[in-house]
Amino acid sequence: MTAILSMQGVSAGYGPVRVLHDLDIEVIPGERVGLVGLNGHGKTTLLSTIVGLTGWQDGSIIFKGEQIGGRRSHGVGRTTPHIVRKGIALAPQGDAIFPGLSVRENLDSGAYTALTWRSRRKRREKVLDVFPPLTKLLGQSAGTLSGGERRMVSVGRALMSDATLYLVDEPSLGLAPKISVNLVAALCEIDVGEGAMIIAEQNLPLLEGRVDRVLGMHAGELKLDVGEALGDVPPAAGVHL
Amino acid sequence: MIEVLVSAAVLASIYGLVAIGISFTWASIGMLNLAQGFIFTAGGYSAWLFAQYAQAWGMEGAALSVGVLTFGMGGAAVAGLLVGAVAFLPLQDRANFRTRSLIATLAISLMGTQLWLIIFGPQNKPLPPVFGQGRLELGNAGVSYQQLGTIIVASFMLVAVILWMRSSRRGLQMRAMMMNPLGAAVVGVSVRTTGMRVLAISGALSGLSSVLLAQVFFVSPTSGTQPLVTGLIISLAGGLGSIPGTVVAAGLIGVAEALTARYLQQSLVPFVLFGIVVLILIFRPRGLGGLLEDVRE
Repeated sequence: MTAILSMQGVSAGYGPVRVLHDLDIEVIPGERVGLVGLNGHGKTTLLSTIVGLTGWQDGSIIFKGEQIGGRRSHGVGRTTPHIVRKGIALAPQGDAIFPGLSVRENLDSGAYTALTWRSRRKRREKVLDVFPPLTKLLGQSAGTLSGGERRMVSVGRALMSDATLYLVDEPSLGLAPKISVNLVAALCEIDVGEGAMIIAEQNLPLLEGRVDRVLGMHAGELKLDVGEALGDVPPAAGVHL
Repeated sequence: MIEVLVSAAVLASIYGLVAIGISFTWASIGMLNLAQGFIFTAGGYSAWLFAQYAQAWGMEGAALSVGVLTFGMGGAAVAGLLVGAVAFLPLQDRANFRTRSLIATLAISLMGTQLWLIIFGPQNKPLPPVFGQGRLELGNAGVSYQQLGTIIVASFMLVAVILWMRSSRRGLQMRAMMMNPLGAAVVGVSVRTTGMRVLAISGALSGLSSVLLAQVFFVSPTSGTQPLVTGLIISLAGGLGSIPGTVVAAGLIGVAEALTARYLQQSLVPFVLFGIVVLILIFRPRGLGGLLEDVRE
């Protein structure tokens, strides 16, 4: 099967700091991939690199047969809108929601293209099926939400789009354990269809049994690539899980 | 008293339109556009040019008025895009964009005045009256059609822009960019394209303001300076980026200017206005609207 996302020899960083070192990653359609590793080992940078949010990057990133990587060092985020419109949705770390807009408007903003905008009501219904607590909050300003609710808005906004590749950065970060379990469970029940999803997560047990494959990152390099059998993770892999 | 209120509302309408443009530009792309005065004057001159040709062809009445308003807004929108092409697009992803664009727009503002002087000369250019001549008598006071028209057209335009921002996809994109540029980028909103749209809309509002002000004063190379300064005062007092705050501040500044001009003297107006801004910023550092909305700091 042809990969939906194929990264080859990707390095990236910020200014003089090199965070990712020569990564090769393939993601096939229908796959849900967990990206694990400790804080500061490059999970967020990897997701940012895919959508062009790092300071500079080098290497090949092929998304659905189209090159979206390459050697680039111009402004952070300059190419991001063009890349996400090809069908990548990112729920970034820190949520990046719009505090002064209502929850409904926040979700609608995820339906960026004219086509998805027209079907935004149907899409919103689907998101509310995934995150029922948001139903009551639709009219409320997003700035007044709790951390868990904000995360749902951020992830929900990503789900509003027509994307085929979903990137979710640390869904459990900063949330109470119970809330993060529910959120990750809801996230892993979403049918990705012919698309794919990459979930970056520090807390490996949260992903256990819910993802198809786990990639482990350590110091900006890929140290681990295993299937479902998480119990068999070799301790020598160099990833401190 | 009615006369003071009417005159306050007229001033608020004219300067409020400029202030909204400044505020809007700052909130969405982080550029304090000091070339707003240049854009304002561009609107005035394009309306004047249109009026010259239209009157030569014998156009008059409502068609002439609509044409003057349209060309004023259109010319200023084009000038806004021009400012964007010079001061926004090339600098947008460089370090210190705010400072650089501030200097660039200041330069455009200074050069712009000279440019108008070279092209149109120092003579004042009058615009034809857009709202007709005459007064509406209200008891012992009166309102001229020009004042009434200014208030109605400005309010209509303001409401239309706000409603459009609230209900349309493009409007949502602009508001999203005002709240969180990173969030906007990850949902696919291009800062550059949207920024140019913002500059065009802000320009069109200034152009309208320019035509409205030219009903009282003339169009001249420096006619954009006063609206720029008052627009900056209002947008600062309103909390840069907050539309409700700017509307309230425009009303407040309009009343203050009308009262000062009526009971003290016209030359004291700048002192009073800056005094008010200083007071507001001491007690509310984010301006009147700072507490109403979350916007770019």
